[in-house]
Amino acid sequence: MSKQYTGIGFRKDFAEELLSSTVLKPSFIEMAPENWIGMGGYWKKVLDKAAEKFPITCHGLSLSIGSPDEVDVEFVKQVKKFLKQYNVKVYSEHLSYSKCDNAHLYDLLPIPFRQDAVKHIVQRIKQVQDILEMPIALENVSYYTPVAAEMNEVEFISAIVKESGCNMLLDVNNVYVNSFNHQYDPKEFIKKLPLDHVAYIHMAGHEQISDTVIIDTHGQAVIDQVFELFDYTVGLVKPVPVLLERDFNIPELEELQGEITRMDNIIAKKWQIADAIA
Amino acid sequence: MQLLKDTYQQQAMLAEYCRDGIVPELKGVKAENLHHYRRLVFNIASDALETCYPITHSFLPKEVWEKLVYDYFAEHKCKTSQVWRMPMEFYDYCVKKDIAGQLGHYFLNDLLYVEWLELDVHTMEDIPYPSFTTKGDWFTNKIAINPEYKLIKLTYPVHTTAPTSLAGKEGTFFLLIYREKESGNVQFMDLSMLYTYILEQIANGELLKDVLEEANNLFQINDILLLKEHAEKFITDLQQRQFVLGFLK
Repeated sequence: MSKQYTGIGFRKDFAEELLSSTVLKPSFIEMAPENWIGMGGYWKKVLDKAAEKFPITCHGLSLSIGSPDEVDVEFVKQVKKFLKQYNVKVYSEHLSYSKCDNAHLYDLLPIPFRQDAVKHIVQRIKQVQDILEMPIALENVSYYTPVAAEMNEVEFISAIVKESGCNMLLDVNNVYVNSFNHQYDPKEFIKKLPLDHVAYIHMAGHEQISDTVIIDTHGQAVIDQVFELFDYTVGLVKPVPVLLERDFNIPELEELQGEITRMDNIIAKKWQIADAIA
Repeated sequence: MQLLKDTYQQQAMLAEYCRDGIVPELKGVKAENLHHYRRLVFNIASDALETCYPITHSFLPKEVWEKLVYDYFAEHKCKTSQVWRMPMEFYDYCVKKDIAGQLGHYFLNDLLYVEWLELDVHTMEDIPYPSFTTKGDWFTNKIAINPEYKLIKLTYPVHTTAPTSLAGKEGTFFLLIYREKESGNVQFMDLSMLYTYILEQIANGELLKDVLEEANNLFQINDILLLKEHAEKFITDLQQRQFVLGFLK
């Protein structure tokens, strides 16, 4: 059996099962700090148990790095405290916005692919990193329509990553989803990304709802084409932590472990590493 | 800000559309796909509210609930970055807009409040327990209580009565909501006005014997022995329920 490198998104839906499981054995767990900051009682106990058992990475939801609003400094400070408390070494977020005009939307909206947006976001990334005193990794998000774009997606992502010097969370499923929705070659897209900045990889399932649209649901098993794209990607980047996201329709844990094992086998063929998250 | 006005406006229009569903004139969009954003955003907000307010959700007719959630999300700017805390803002919105009065369900504020508090008490940050001992005298030693609780006053008995039977049941009701330390479970306990008073004073650090003397006069009971007997049973009952811990060290 190959060594395990892959982590899993820590969801309340299967938190207890995971903590006592002998079947599902991720090498680390990932959680959204927003879902745990300031939480006490039963769930705090679960969180503390999880932190004793697994290394933790954090993947935020509400930073809204692409927002026109000011950075919510108090929120970033809360995140910083949480990261320190749970010894979190990897903090990632989405290259999108989820707050505008002081109203939170709790989902990921596409930023206009424009030069002024690049400048705006680069400045915000630097501000956030200065507060956190650590680098953040930004994820290429899935999107269903561009908005007021003046450059293409890969140019937009690359400019932000290169100009800010931040890390990149490469979500392989999102590349697949976007390549389907917007009709491009996913491998060509990945090749053009600033791959030397990739510090984290996400894998997930999705749902095709029509002939032309896939929704990034995290509610289904990872499909073969995404595994194939993952195989391709792993061959291009240095060893980094890899995460399986499964947020809905949680299957038997054996099934999740099967996906993790499949990823680990791909990784083992390409990366000579002791531990991607160490 | 480095953003051009037009870029800001495009972002603001998309965000506004996700909140109110009114289709904007955005540049360069796939119009046929725009609705996914409204749907996905609205579903997250709607799911959070249904999870927090299951009784209100199942009591109100579907179209009334949906309109309420629609109006809330369109009119109110959600301030919290934590979606699980957002239902508290929904409660505030309903009170401010007098939704209870508009719908003629005058108990609605109380119902929403109790439903929110159940979630709030379950998830609220841990409060350090006081140092205590189990040996002492209820009347002359300071009593230690579980610090993780809310003591509230209601106009309708929404915690004991189904919404369909609440009309005409207005009165004054006191409710203790607390979290058990080990299990984290939330417990509810009906209290009389007298016992609410006693509990509040104990929580303020007063001795039970002093509280009872005050209560004897305040509530015109004029039977301190009977009051002591009942109070001791009350405190013992609270101890069995894991609310009273013992005696402060």
